[in-house]
Amino acid sequence: MTGLGEIWIRNVGEGISIGVGEAIERLPSTVPAIRDRVRHDDRGSYRPLSGARGLPAGWHVRISEELPLDAAIEAVYPLATVHRAQFRDGTLRVVSLDEVLDRQSGRYEIASNLSSAGRDLVRSVLCDNVCVRVPVWAGSSPGIDDIPCPEPCSVLVALAREAAIWETARPVATDPDPDVEFAEFDLPGNVLRETYLARAREEQAES
Amino acid sequence: MSRALVLVGHGSHLNANSSEPVWRHADTIRSRRLFDEVRVGLWKEEPSLSRVLDGCTADEVFVVPMFISTGYFTKTVVPREMGLTGTTTVRHGQVIRYTPPVGVHDSLANVIVERAREVGAGPDDAVVVLGHGTRRDSDSEKNVYRMADLVRERSLFAEVVAVFLDQEPSMLNMLDLVRAPRVTVVPLFIADGWHVGQTIPDDLSLEGVETRRSGRLVRYSGPVGTHDSLADVILELVEGVPAG
Ligand code: SF4
Repeated sequence: MTGLGEIWIRNVGEGISIGVGEAIERLPSTVPAIRDRVRHDDRGSYRPLSGARGLPAGWHVRISEELPLDAAIEAVYPLATVHRAQFRDGTLRVVSLDEVLDRQSGRYEIASNLSSAGRDLVRSVLCDNVCVRVPVWAGSSPGIDDIPCPEPCSVLVALAREAAIWETARPVATDPDPDVEFAEFDLPGNVLRETYLARAREEQAES
Repeated sequence: MSRALVLVGHGSHLNANSSEPVWRHADTIRSRRLFDEVRVGLWKEEPSLSRVLDGCTADEVFVVPMFISTGYFTKTVVPREMGLTGTTTVRHGQVIRYTPPVGVHDSLANVIVERAREVGAGPDDAVVVLGHGTRRDSDSEKNVYRMADLVRERSLFAEVVAVFLDQEPSMLNMLDLVRAPRVTVVPLFIADGWHVGQTIPDDLSLEGVETRRSGRLVRYSGPVGTHDSLADVILELVEGVPAG
């Protein structure tokens, strides 16, 4: 048995299957069936970040002529297969956080005000703690079984935007509330928000 | 020559329904096997706009914005994130054709008609085309009026008017703008998201598909973007791209 991120890939008697956790529910061998199954976590919360740990568990799907392995993986982790191959070949186009924040406009333009310490912290809080992808854009080196991430994603940019605002007016700390949606960074209690603010406070106290 | 189709949409960090029509229309078109590849790229979800072409080897790529009108996203965000320089971009020998958004194609009027008829609109009824409207860019406003004009030209309904969520004429006054006893509201939106599912029905005090109001009947259809026939509008848009 091998795996990628949180999915397992098995090749047993009846052929190749992929799944997460116990193989209880067998999904139809279609891309939309997999996509729908991983869209919400086991608590029913929407997962806007495909690489976020905590894929819903208890399902599996049979790979078939209509559902090749790459297409099944793509439905869970978009572009993972392409990025792994490009990383191996040395052709993966890597884009830095500075470049991504600098090109933002409109609502996200303010994200480029985030300090260098804040940029490190958003990466640590989101990429290192939450995501199965490995941020090559931040200099991390993926192992052979990892999924390389070549460019900061939109969730990271959204967190950077809020973090830039928090640097101008530090919000009061609140207990993390798992009922606040994953990416509702402007709401007190959002887990990533409260983690970021607690870590920022610690770092400030140390310096 | 190999061809790829890329549907690009907004997506959302908060609403799981936002990108559903984009994925569904891509699945429909993929099943027709008209392109070597059909992909989806999203501003707020994955695959991202900036990476959706990674590993795409097709000679010709059609990028179709799944937006209701031209504006900030189609003029600024999509071209910047995808590195597009105009309607045609040539990169590493690959020709990328950037089409107008699906919402400005004349055939969208067919989808409005279908949506209105589905909930029961007939020749004696009024159809209200409900657009978002914006203060930032008037293209969106003009497109809502244009779509209402295209539907009106077909003479299928007694009255056809345009109203807006966010500007005048406001949807709140729609019953003053038409005389017919039965009024069908068709939202000119892509997704069955926050506005279509919540703010519009709340603001108009709608009770579902049919609501009785001051002796009149108000019908509320699904948004144009989730209608199955939008896949045909996408294909017509691509077929209309001049070669060369
Ligand atoms: S930027 Fe970080 S959180 Fe986003 S996909 Fe890459 S590794 Fe994951």
